[in-house]
Amino acid sequence: MNIPPPDILLQLSINGALGGAMYGVAAVGLSLIFGTMRLIFLAQGAIIIFSAYCVRALFYKLGIDPFLSLPIVIAGGAVLGWLIYQGLFRKAAAMEDRNVSLLIAVGLMFLVQNLMTVIWGGNTAGVVTTYTASGIEIFGVRTSFTRSMGFLIALAGTAFVILFLKKTLVGKAVRAASEDMNAATLMGISPHRVNAIAFAIGISLAGAAGVAVATTFPFNPFAGFIFSLKALVALALGGLGNVGGALAGGIILGLIEAYTQYFISGGWTNAVAYGVFLLVLMLKPEGLFSKPFKKA
Amino acid sequence: MASQHLLEVKGLAVSYGDVRALWDVSIHVDPGTVVSIVGANGAGKSTLMRAISGIVRPQAGEILLSGRSLVGLPPEEIARLGIAHVPEGRGLFRQMTVLENLELGAFQPAARPHMRERLEKAYALFPRLRERVNQKAGSLSGGEQQMLAIARATMSAPKLLILDEPSLGLSPLVVQQMFELIRALNRDGVTILLVEQNIHQALNVADHAFVLQTGLLVMQGAGRELLADPEIQKAYMGVLE
Amino acid sequence: MTRDPKFLIGALVVAALALLPFVPGAVDNYYFSLLFFVFIYAILAQGWNLVVGYAGQISLGQHAFFGLGAYTTAIVWSRNYLYGPLYESFPRIYYFDPVTMVLSGLVAAVAAVLIGLPLLSKLRGDYFALGTLGFGEIVRVLFVNGGEFTGSAFGVIAPSSTFETLLPHYWTGLFLMIGTALAIRWLIRSRYGLALVAVRDDEMAASANGVNILKTKILAFAGSAFIAGVCGSLYSYYIFHVGPDSVFNLEWMLLPLMMTVVGGTGTVWGPIIGAFVMYVVFDFAKLWVPDYHPIIAGLTIILAMLFMPNGILRFGFLARRA
Repeated sequence: MNIPPPDILLQLSINGALGGAMYGVAAVGLSLIFGTMRLIFLAQGAIIIFSAYCVRALFYKLGIDPFLSLPIVIAGGAVLGWLIYQGLFRKAAAMEDRNVSLLIAVGLMFLVQNLMTVIWGGNTAGVVTTYTASGIEIFGVRTSFTRSMGFLIALAGTAFVILFLKKTLVGKAVRAASEDMNAATLMGISPHRVNAIAFAIGISLAGAAGVAVATTFPFNPFAGFIFSLKALVALALGGLGNVGGALAGGIILGLIEAYTQYFISGGWTNAVAYGVFLLVLMLKPEGLFSKPFKKA
Repeated sequence: MASQHLLEVKGLAVSYGDVRALWDVSIHVDPGTVVSIVGANGAGKSTLMRAISGIVRPQAGEILLSGRSLVGLPPEEIARLGIAHVPEGRGLFRQMTVLENLELGAFQPAARPHMRERLEKAYALFPRLRERVNQKAGSLSGGEQQMLAIARATMSAPKLLILDEPSLGLSPLVVQQMFELIRALNRDGVTILLVEQNIHQALNVADHAFVLQTGLLVMQGAGRELLADPEIQKAYMGVLE
Repeated sequence: MTRDPKFLIGALVVAALALLPFVPGAVDNYYFSLLFFVFIYAILAQGWNLVVGYAGQISLGQHAFFGLGAYTTAIVWSRNYLYGPLYESFPRIYYFDPVTMVLSGLVAAVAAVLIGLPLLSKLRGDYFALGTLGFGEIVRVLFVNGGEFTGSAFGVIAPSSTFETLLPHYWTGLFLMIGTALAIRWLIRSRYGLALVAVRDDEMAASANGVNILKTKILAFAGSAFIAGVCGSLYSYYIFHVGPDSVFNLEWMLLPLMMTVVGGTGTVWGPIIGAFVMYVVFDFAKLWVPDYHPIIAGLTIILAMLFMPNGILRFGFLARRA
């Protein structure tokens, strides 16, 4: 195998990393929800695509620029997340049966996916604006403007979450609840509140990711599931419950995909991604960035 | 007539599935006192504490805090009513720092405005914590962790402080220090309900004590009196006939 | 058991279903092929039930085993791997051939053991579910990229000149549906079944009692894969053209899952009842809201989980130790 010239490698790396950040921001949301509820929220990808469709509708029907619709989808996502928890998961959380929560998430994924098919049809859709085709230069490498913006969105979102968790008392309560929910309740921390907050943030991040997706590549209702899977891979790489690691995991996944696409072929990128996923799950389930689990 | 007990437990019955853990247990705690619950392993002491703080739901019986029923309330609500429970194993957030643990102790809306002053008070009572303020709780020694757990519980200025097996895993010297701390807290006005396997210390510090045996209340009385009781000495302290 | 009213009702229903094809005009009726699909989903649901309801491991990769079974049958048939010269004399020899079908199940079961060993020995609960999900996707990609052998994205076509009526499909489906239910009923009353439920309810206690946890779980996993594989084989006799998009479709995992849950996870007849109920629901949905009926699937899982998490068979007055 020939090692390609350094500028090609750099190009691959930058594009891969930028693209991977989108998986990362989806994974950050998953991380929050898993941390508090130990639930793998499989519907995250479908909701991201749903957000992308909404962004598209906002642009084509109301003329709102996708990046300007960020506040709308973020706020909307927070409200939606809160509602999803209260309506769908609150009862299951009280039941303490994690299988039930998982199945509800699966049902929701199915529901959202088919809802999108019904509303917008099953064909691929995209958003085209004056800048979607333009490129910019980073470190001397030519890359897409929207992809870079997507990366900034991911970065900003993750930073916000990390600050929230570290600096605010409510954020600390979320971290405490993730570590030991029972002990947290003894401090007067309400599990339902904490779960609802995690959901609200998680879905608002999904909303933001939708903007990134809508402006970067074409999408269809069924892309949601693959997105969820990739977000899960990112989460596994970074360590379930590790927020910064989730973003890093996404970037690493993006790099893996970019290299696989170049050195092997596009058709194999998914297989390699899932293969890496299985390997990490089995060899280092705590993720690349966390300390190993102690045997309970 | 209104009861003057701070905490009153009447006829409590608790089962885990088909296994009965507590049978018709009644205890009370008067304000400003230290009350100890003693008994062998598996006597049901921790179960009693968990029922009081709401982690476990009793099958029958009453639990009253200043006359208000606690049965059926979720733990976070009971905590907000003024009960601070330091569970067996301490329940510290080991990944979080000493400071963060303390801050979370004052998470309740009623406690938050007083966080500053209560932190200072906690440091005064437990000076070693101030030195370790930014260390992860999990990295502290056993004795320091216990101190942190108790300090965290004081952050909410609770009406009742429940300590479940505080001497577990600690060396005798540290245990001694800890019980002095408990006395100091009590002198400061904190009402303490204590569960302990270390009978000598527990009875020594208690104003009133209850003895549990396989889920039943078998004896009660003033701490020092029980300590001198020959039955207790034979059963729990290895004193030969 | 023979005096239990439920058994009598069940036997009557089975007899009615078995005799249905003899009713004039029944075979060409739209509902006849619908029943066939109910059978297929019921079989898949039963397999899912084995690994989830009885072994307690959520598996999200059943569709991979289904597809493996379907592909095995199609490939073995179209390339004549089994019968060599016999094929010329008896062109219908592969059609509903028990050997082929069992082989399809075995291929799936072997895959389950291969993937189950590492996954089950190292992963718990959620992680295991994720692992099976990933596995399902990997299998799909492998088949798409399988080149000549698997027909890539197009798939494999089985020789189809022998498809005239749905009768063999119907009866085989009915037989398999009842057969798997009875097999599972027998299984859970056996010593292995006790071990299975013990592992599901309390692993530590089971292990303390000498149960080999890994072996128990893997057997259940392989068993459910076998069922899915045989079902896939049956399906390939219906569809004749086996392609990655049709047989590795997530619906083959999601719908049986939902049916088991609705009918009652961990009960023997739950999956069958769930399959019937769900198909009735779908059919009505198709009539009233033709465009929205796939949404009903998602909505159903959610509603079932919220209000009847233990399924129909364990709901209220119907609840009894199943």
